[in-house]
Amino acid sequence: MDLVLQLLFTGIGIGAVYALVALGFVLIFRATNVVNFAQGEFSMVAAYLMVVFSVDLGWPYWLSFLIALAGMALLGVIFNLGVYYPLRHRTYLPVIIATIGASILLSNSVLAIYGPQPQVLQGWFDTPGIQLGPVYLDSQYLLIIAVTILLVLFNFWFFEKTLLGKKLQATSQDKEMASLLGISVSTMIMITFIYSAVLGGLAGILVAPVLFVSIQMGSTIALKAFAATIIGGFGDVTGAIIGGLALGVIETFGAAYISVPYKDGFAFLVLIAFLIFRPQGIFGERVAEKA
Amino acid sequence: MPLLEIRNLVVRYGEIEALRGITIAVEQGQVVTLLGANGAGKSTTLRAISGLEKPASGDILFDGHSIAGLGPEAIVRLGISHVPEGRRVFPGLTVKENIMLGASNRKVSASQISREADAMFDLFPDIRTFSNALGWTLSGGQLQMVAVARGLMAKPRLLLLDEPSLGLAPVIVQAVFRIISQIRKDTTVLLVEQNARMGLSVADHGFVLETGRIVLGGKPDELWGNEAIAAAYLGGHAKARA
Repeated sequence: MDLVLQLLFTGIGIGAVYALVALGFVLIFRATNVVNFAQGEFSMVAAYLMVVFSVDLGWPYWLSFLIALAGMALLGVIFNLGVYYPLRHRTYLPVIIATIGASILLSNSVLAIYGPQPQVLQGWFDTPGIQLGPVYLDSQYLLIIAVTILLVLFNFWFFEKTLLGKKLQATSQDKEMASLLGISVSTMIMITFIYSAVLGGLAGILVAPVLFVSIQMGSTIALKAFAATIIGGFGDVTGAIIGGLALGVIETFGAAYISVPYKDGFAFLVLIAFLIFRPQGIFGERVAEKA
Repeated sequence: MPLLEIRNLVVRYGEIEALRGITIAVEQGQVVTLLGANGAGKSTTLRAISGLEKPASGDILFDGHSIAGLGPEAIVRLGISHVPEGRRVFPGLTVKENIMLGASNRKVSASQISREADAMFDLFPDIRTFSNALGWTLSGGQLQMVAVARGLMAKPRLLLLDEPSLGLAPVIVQAVFRIISQIRKDTTVLLVEQNARMGLSVADHGFVLETGRIVLGGKPDELWGNEAIAAAYLGGHAKARA
């Protein structure tokens, strides 16, 4: 039982990272009808920005954190203007290919600067964790879970309670109608890219001390997050969060009870099962109604 | 000076010329109805006015200033509100949220918009009870009410209404047209209709479009009086039997 609780904690912690990246996938997909294949690279770039500011330059952790997030917001702007905006009147295919291109550009740029050697980033806290009864709570996982809870609450408030959130929803549901009402569609999509880049960056910064900071970390996280969005029901915000958490828990338990080397495989087994038996995902029907 | 003046407007979809040089004027305070068969260019005319289609040539003057080539976001800020064909109510937002977003062209606070949206239900009492229902749950008539209410939230000087009667039961059509005759007290309306009888019943002036050209224009009485036109476009045979 102790082990179960311990695994549950770790699984939710890693699942929260998948959930944050999955949320970025879903928000951009709903706003532009395109899957952003560079979403994982947002996490990777943010982690390297932390390495630059906190490790290389030795700035305080919190300051590096804020500057890295600001850098991600800027990357969101550049990404929108450089990758999406010129192709916005085309079909989804050129845009998807452009996001794949951007993903390759980002990872190879980092590779050219830092080389293939993984970098190490310290966690936010000096204390590694606390023992709570039978369960050891790692401080970085606690932080990840806390930040994810806050962001999910913020996300709900922003999209359901503010007029700007409603305008973003309107834009994702019918761009032409939104523009007829005077909603600036290009501004709404810009906001979506900024928000998604910051979400992805946050996930990368939070998970970096748990993993190594490497060129591949983006694609690994993105594949899991992509699986999470399909499991949750593509295009559904709640689905992305539930799917991310479920995936984290499943692969942690799979690794502990079945096989450690196949840890990454469990996520994709679940994905395949969903694609066969419930391709619309957990919350899929609601998406169909919204479409 | 007319509120809206369209001069020799040509709109092309690729090779196809949807509008082949139309000229119409809408005076302040009027209801003007565009009639015509499917594909005559009625919706294209409205889409060109609201900026969804770019004119190939010709000009569109609003209040004496050219708006041809401006984007839809800029045009609605000038005071032209377009309620498009098919209602286009946001399916995942509630009725009240849909109506509130109609004020996106004006700089007013969210609480002010919320009050104005509540006041809008006085004009549309039938949808008041559905205030918190999501768009996709509504019937065609309710969607039309929401679409018109949302269009009015822009506080337009000119309201463009595209086929408000399409697909609605006769009773609902009458309700929609009662609302149009109320709206006209404060707002100039350019109405597109296939239902000629209803369309002309509220109009000060009517135009008949045929394959991208204006073939006839005049007061509703004059249009009814033209037998050939009445037979072809206005259901003249039915009138003759009646």
